Amino acid sequence: MKKEIATFKINDRPYEVIVTSDMTLYELLRNLHLTGTKRSCGVGECGSCTVLVDGNPTLACSTLAIAVRDKEILTIEGLSRGAQLHPLQQAFVDGGAIQCGFCTPGMILMAKALLDENPTPTREEVKEGLGGNLCRCTGYVKIIDAVMASVEKMRRGDS
Amino acid sequence: MVQEFSVVGKRAPRWGARDIATGTAKYVVDIELPGMLVGKVLTSPHPHARIIGIDKSGAEKLPGVEAVLTFEDIPPKLFTPNRHDLILYHPENECKDMQVISDKARFVGDRIAAVAAVDTVTAQKALELIEVKYEVLPPVFDPLEAVKPGAPRVHDFAPNNIALHLKFPGSRGDVEKGFQDADCVIEETFRTSKQLVSQLEPCACIASFGPDGRLTIWSPGQSAFLQRRKLAEIFDMPEGMIRWITPHVGGSFGKFGSLSIEPVCAALAKKTGKPVKIEYSREEDSSRTETRQKYVATGKIGVKKDGAITALQEKLVVDGGAYFSRNSTTTMANMGSFTGLYRCPNVAAEADCVYTNILTTGGIRGYGNSEAMCVLEQLIDRAAREIGMDPVQLRLRNIKRAGDPDSKGLRMETCTLEEIIRLGAEKVGWAEKRARKKGEGAKRYGIGMAIMMDLSGAHPSCIQHRNAYIKFNEDGSANLIVTAYDMGQNLCGTCAQIAAEVLGIRYEDIHIVTGDTDITMFDTGIGASAGLYQVGHAVMNAALEAKKQLLDRAGKKLGVAADELEVRDRRIYLKSDPRRGISVAEVTKQATYNFEGEHLNISGKGSFSPTQSPPPFAAVFAEVEVDIETAEVKILRILYVSDSGRVINPATVEGQVEGGIAQSVGYCLTEDCVINKETGILESDNFTTYKIPSTLDIPEMEVILYEAPVPSGPFGAKGVGHGTTIAVNPAIANAIYDAVGVFVTDMPATPEKILEALRRPSGTSSGIVS
Repeated sequence: MKKEIATFKINDRPYEVIVTSDMTLYELLRNLHLTGTKRSCGVGECGSCTVLVDGNPTLACSTLAIAVRDKEILTIEGLSRGAQLHPLQQAFVDGGAIQCGFCTPGMILMAKALLDENPTPTREEVKEGLGGNLCRCTGYVKIIDAVMASVEKMRRGDS
Repeated sequence: MVQEFSVVGKRAPRWGARDIATGTAKYVVDIELPGMLVGKVLTSPHPHARIIGIDKSGAEKLPGVEAVLTFEDIPPKLFTPNRHDLILYHPENECKDMQVISDKARFVGDRIAAVAAVDTVTAQKALELIEVKYEVLPPVFDPLEAVKPGAPRVHDFAPNNIALHLKFPGSRGDVEKGFQDADCVIEETFRTSKQLVSQLEPCACIASFGPDGRLTIWSPGQSAFLQRRKLAEIFDMPEGMIRWITPHVGGSFGKFGSLSIEPVCAALAKKTGKPVKIEYSREEDSSRTETRQKYVATGKIGVKKDGAITALQEKLVVDGGAYFSRNSTTTMANMGSFTGLYRCPNVAAEADCVYTNILTTGGIRGYGNSEAMCVLEQLIDRAAREIGMDPVQLRLRNIKRAGDPDSKGLRMETCTLEEIIRLGAEKVGWAEKRARKKGEGAKRYGIGMAIMMDLSGAHPSCIQHRNAYIKFNEDGSANLIVTAYDMGQNLCGTCAQIAAEVLGIRYEDIHIVTGDTDITMFDTGIGASAGLYQVGHAVMNAALEAKKQLLDRAGKKLGVAADELEVRDRRIYLKSDPRRGISVAEVTKQATYNFEGEHLNISGKGSFSPTQSPPPFAAVFAEVEVDIETAEVKILRILYVSDSGRVINPATVEGQVEGGIAQSVGYCLTEDCVINKETGILESDNFTTYKIPSTLDIPEMEVILYEAPVPSGPFGAKGVGHGTTIAVNPAIANAIYDAVGVFVTDMPATPEKILEALRRPSGTSSGIVS
């Protein structure tokens, strides 16, 4: 297995890591003790491992680490500013959108990508946008509600 | 008088929600221990085979491999992964038929060997180097085939593969006479679907032996103390030598009420002397861990023209899969539910619990009752059509009332079935929509409904013991130390709301300590919606004791008797003169740093063992549109009226209902194990081949919480989560029946099966397909 030293920028912090050519981004994050990114299916069917790479939603389980070297990677650990939660995180907490929580990090990052591209989506557009992120607990109602609530909050500018 | 609460009834955030939303919450897979090995399990590729030779030398020689275990390395002790044999009043129906690693494979996925190695790649390679010689035996996959003479025998001790014949002890009256007295008798055989749990966190476990010989397990679980006792028996250890830690749990829905891979993981840790983690992939989780039972259920109903139900009978063949696990209690729950929902003088039920060479089953959310209502609530609608009565009216004619026995035979404190049926029918516009034309084009509209009564724990069949402990901190906050398994249903949070309400402090003043058998007190495990009703009650009792100490202390300080005081909003005050008082924090600080020789850590211990199991109720209304050309079913709307007693946290209760609706939509329309009829391989083992509903598949939902406090509950609360999967499935099926006039008896109701039913000439076999 080919090994090399590669640099990564994860949550605004630089890392220099020895990676193998077959290492996934999920495995890289785990090696760096960033365990907030969850793996549920391992093959890109469920969206649980969604992280943002240069702002684009990316499935960490199905992406080679080496393919995202030197790119801006955002995981759930990098979303809040200190104790100040991102409006999406706050809306998920306040709105009862979290049950077991295993889908939550991927769901929140997918929603962030969605809102970055379209800051005022309709409910249908949110449903559509989160269609690839599975949840077995909530029935999605409160997740969609939370995204819509944070849209409203961000629109008012009181994040 | 309306009681006013400070914390109860509020939409407080789920316990631990901030940790989860920031990615800091730890699940088993997130825990790393120094020197930890990777464990992997070799499973049988054959559905039925005896091992006649096994050579592990190649695997053992591989550098990095630290242990290879086969049946030869582990004492052949039999156990059942299900916990109920330890708590049932009559455990004689339970069956110990499983080994940690067996010399016989009974399904594709049965454990044959296990390895521990320094990393995943080495562990995987080691599995491939184990040479197993199988004597392949003929398998049996269908429960009706399994009971025929000459069928392959899954377990030697079970002739005809019947693990257990159960006659429902609550049978009453004379069903034959009841059917004779009826004006209309309908009998139908259904096959319910074998639903995969599909919790998002795949099964995982860590086991580690300390230098003192104590074993620590990290595993999701709904029943750590009983699971610990099971491990203790398997490994011949005292219970106190095992510590079971339950971190955050990524969904369980009943599955982790049974042991899964903990015994294997512990065996590997014992052999190597190092911590071992086993982490299943999605496919491994799907194909190796417990699923819902598939029932071949024949239901029979007799009704008079005026709608009175004269007799109900159920005959079940329960496909439990390769091991017995939860089959007796789930089947009893089924029969109790089928015969217990309606007033009926003549009821009878019996079941054969059958072994087959497929994936083992367990006690999954709504167990027994979901499958029973799939049959009963569809029969009700067919009977209604036969006698020309509205299905709502037929139900109202026969439902039980307060004071009647519930499905377990316990006298009901409250029964709101009539209220919630009427409320739902009015809200949904039943009369108008039911009369509406079905449409003339391809798209046909239909509306259906179903009801259910469930339970709040396993009383009176099992012992149910709960304990909680509360201790105040100096600052007036309190730690709640409690065994309250939180798998997403926010049991910890709702318990904290109960404690905060009693103690007159804020929700955020309660710090929860949970998930560690070394710290929290004994508990018999949760399931069947026991959590809030039972654990919540122990918490309430602990809080009442702590409150007594708090007010005693405050009374001394204020120079008044404790019973003259009340506490609210973090302040203790005289009931007769609320301006006179003292803050909680002042009392707790003074009691802690006491220079007068009267130190007291204000605290309270509470226990609870139930004498009731008050049923939550639901009335569910479904509106659908069925395309008669493609048989595609579009669910337009679900209206769910729920009575779970006092609502401690509306967001939590709504979340339980909404989640239950989504699971039921899958259960009704798409979800079932696809098992290859030749190879026995589970072909639907991932999210592409086994579709659970996504945001795009869920209908519009409206949840109405009909709040009827039950006297025996903490603040009047009952259970909720277990029952939310029960009535939605038949409500949708009845709506399809209303739309296009056909039933699918072989669930789930996929477009293929609906089309097949539609193509049958009307008038012959009522357009039924099975």
